[in-house]
Amino acid sequence: MSTFDVTNIKLYEDLASHMNHQSEHFRILGDADMTMVFAVQTPDKTLHFQLVFSELRCDAVDLVPADEAHMADFSLVGSVESWSDMFDDIYANGGASGPWTINSLALRGDRISCEGNDPMGLDKFSRFNQTLQDFLDGAGRLDLIRSQP
Amino acid sequence: MPKLTEAESNNAIADRLPAMTPMGQPLDWAWLRGAPSEWGVRPKPSARGLTMSDIAIGTYGEVPEQAQRRSMAGRGSTVEGDAPDMGYILNKKSDVWSDNVRELYEEAVARQWSATRDIPWNELPELPSDIEHAVCQVFTTLAEIEMIAADLPAKWMWRMNHDYLEAKMFLCTQIMDEARHTEVFRKRALSNGGGLLYSRSSGESLLRSILEAKTYTQATALLHLLGEGFILDIFRMGELIAPSHVEKKIFRMAMQDEARHVAYGTMHLRYAVENDPDVAEEIHEALDHGELLLTTFGTNADFGSALAYLLGGGEEHIEDKGFPLQMEMQRHQFTSYLSRCERAGISRLERTKLPLDLLGIDVSKIRGTSATAA
Ligand SMILES: [Fe+2]
Ligand SMILES: [Fe+2]
Repeated sequence: MSTFDVTNIKLYEDLASHMNHQSEHFRILGDADMTMVFAVQTPDKTLHFQLVFSELRCDAVDLVPADEAHMADFSLVGSVESWSDMFDDIYANGGASGPWTINSLALRGDRISCEGNDPMGLDKFSRFNQTLQDFLDGAGRLDLIRSQP
Repeated sequence: MPKLTEAESNNAIADRLPAMTPMGQPLDWAWLRGAPSEWGVRPKPSARGLTMSDIAIGTYGEVPEQAQRRSMAGRGSTVEGDAPDMGYILNKKSDVWSDNVRELYEEAVARQWSATRDIPWNELPELPSDIEHAVCQVFTTLAEIEMIAADLPAKWMWRMNHDYLEAKMFLCTQIMDEARHTEVFRKRALSNGGGLLYSRSSGESLLRSILEAKTYTQATALLHLLGEGFILDIFRMGELIAPSHVEKKIFRMAMQDEARHVAYGTMHLRYAVENDPDVAEEIHEALDHGELLLTTFGTNADFGSALAYLLGGGEEHIEDKGFPLQMEMQRHQFTSYLSRCERAGISRLERTKLPLDLLGIDVSKIRGTSATAA
């Protein structure tokens, strides 16, 4: 049983909220401007959580239809199990360990792939990769955030 | 008494000011009386501050298709008198411009990092000697080739018309980035009980042909699109070859910078081809030659074998894991490169001599800019 419900938008909203409270940390990495999608494949449908990053913040988290998701710079696509395993690794280690960084996963492409129609959009996955990784690593601290009143 | 206009007030001040310096030299207060250039602009800072895009307003934001002067006068200033010709030869916007260049400049400034401070050097683990040797060979080669991406812009920048200052400013950030890449790779080679290993000629011929390209657009095709695209993918693969989290972080940070350089090159070539279709053949010729050299570089005895060794995790799995992963890596690299060529408007699919079938490249995924990163 995973610690996180990757099909629930609340997870992505919590990660965004965590990022938005850590501007000093993200300032070291610098501004990041991209629109990306976490595509979570369930047995009967794919959920597209679209996140809009602007400067040092994640400004919007929305569940969008597939045809809108295609307009993002890139999508990270994986099954519920793959996403859950990744977040569990982050939670267990306080940050992604070796093979579970988002770049490692997307590079191998067997569990989570990075997809998009525009090479320039896809390259934003590389341009803002450390910001995205630190955003995801926020899951290692979510119990603290969620326990706050 | 009627209130003076701003111009009248300034003119009145200028009239009262001395006409000579204490040393007897004539003084000119023309700047106080105003100039024909645009006055009174008030760009609004965006949320992140005052960006280069914010100040690209009115005539200041108008980038001429063909530069009229050859001086360093700032775009939008009032130019009087004969300034010496600075020797610019890139005097067309399509020679150097890309539509994302202001955005990339701001991004580069905002995302600078320090190889001294931001890498956890004291967390480097002791590695088995063979792995440390392979790591050091990879970083020896990387440290050697990084500076080409500083030397090349530097070679051309002083030839770029000053009306295209944003392109020059972006290239300044690239030069800083490459200095940091050279620094971080050299530091890694020297920091864990190893040192620099071999430099041999196959890498140098690619570097030399980039440096010797006849035009800037050919040079940028060879450097930004082909060479740096290839290196960007190597940095991405850093996740698979890095023996510890320290090298992983080095590769991820360098990857972010590298992707900006590739983004400039891709969009510059697109702008060049859209505005001057004749340059397409020139770009193709450069890439015909560059692809051949890159293939040679990819099989560089030292770099290639050290990469395969790390991909396999050492001696035991070099054949069943190292070499197959290296093939996979080349498929990634050439797929990304050919996709970027499509995006740049210089499709290589019908022209390239790369063995696409042998590399296992799915052309249907690339055609028409469609691609996947993984
Ligand atoms: Fe570099
Ligand atoms: Fe570069």
